[in-house]
Amino acid sequence: MPREFALSGILFPSLIVVFVIAAAVTWIIDGLMARANLHRYVWHPPLFRLALFACLFGAGGLLLY
Amino acid sequence: MNAIKALRILMTLAICVIAVMVGTALWDHYMLSPWTRDGRVRADVVAIAPDVAGLIADIPVHDNEYVHKGDLLMRIDDKRYQMAVDQAEAALKAADVERHLRKQEAARRAKLDSLVISKENRETTSSQAAAADAKYDAAQAALDVAKLNLERTEIHAPVDGYVTNFTAQVGDYASVGKPVLALINAHSYYILGYFEETKLPRVRAGDPVRIHMMDGEELTGRVQSVPRGITDQNDTVGRSMLANVNPTYNWVRLAQRIPVRISIDDLEHHPLIAGQTCTVVIKPGKQDTKQAAAAPAG
Repeated sequence: MPREFALSGILFPSLIVVFVIAAAVTWIIDGLMARANLHRYVWHPPLFRLALFACLFGAGGLLLY
Repeated sequence: MNAIKALRILMTLAICVIAVMVGTALWDHYMLSPWTRDGRVRADVVAIAPDVAGLIADIPVHDNEYVHKGDLLMRIDDKRYQMAVDQAEAALKAADVERHLRKQEAARRAKLDSLVISKENRETTSSQAAAADAKYDAAQAALDVAKLNLERTEIHAPVDGYVTNFTAQVGDYASVGKPVLALINAHSYYILGYFEETKLPRVRAGDPVRIHMMDGEELTGRVQSVPRGITDQNDTVGRSMLANVNPTYNWVRLAQRIPVRISIDDLEHHPLIAGQTCTVVIKPGKQDTKQAAAAPAG
């Protein structure tokens, strides 16, 4: 994947796309976990969510670049 | 219950640690690895200017045409220069006649007795003969100049390349030394990557480079050289010869950019346009730096 994408002639870093995708995936995983009641294995859900998002975003960014 | 509690804490802490590690890796990669979006395709451009003035009589090339070294680019009306050659030839003939005359005179007088002719007269004629000789040489040189001028009415391509931004028309008056067309050297394309100062420690000559063009094309290249100087923007002088220093913030500073020259591996791969924007990514591999270090020794 190229490092930037064009939006009507203006090029943005692809990291923005990764950010949006990572946020969406975090949201989905969080929903699934809530449904499966997995949150009882989590000590601090907001911290967990943030860390999960950081992992996904970081991994996506590293894969891309 | 205790086991679950320990598991909860352990799991959360583990994912936090992973998040910090991945985040640091991305930060390092994105912020510190040597890459820049500010890359430009560059090429050497020859500004073709006529060596003699005159009306443009013929232009056999078209805008954006590829020309080979030595091809005719433009012909300046040569009538005046042809006449100048004729004139110089006539002057040469006259000088030749004069030279012979003076030579004969001098030879004749050299033979005469000093009772018949004064020493002064003899010396004068021999000097005149020498001067006529010199005049002949001068006329010869003038003819050579006239011939060179005539030759220079035809402008030939000094390199293989592309004629660009060609606006001259047949009938335009071409002045001496005033460029009329740009010729881009076809073998001279290279990339200038403008790297922040902070990224320079990881830039080394010989490192492999990937070049992403804005049109999606990808090229490979190598770091050719890192420059040893850029302009100091504070080093200007105001109107009254006083230093002109830009104000800066104490808190934040902006890294300047250094133009790193990158050679392209395969120039034929993709038609490049000088001035195009590209993203430049340097891959400082350990193997490659070893190879680069070993290469000069071997």
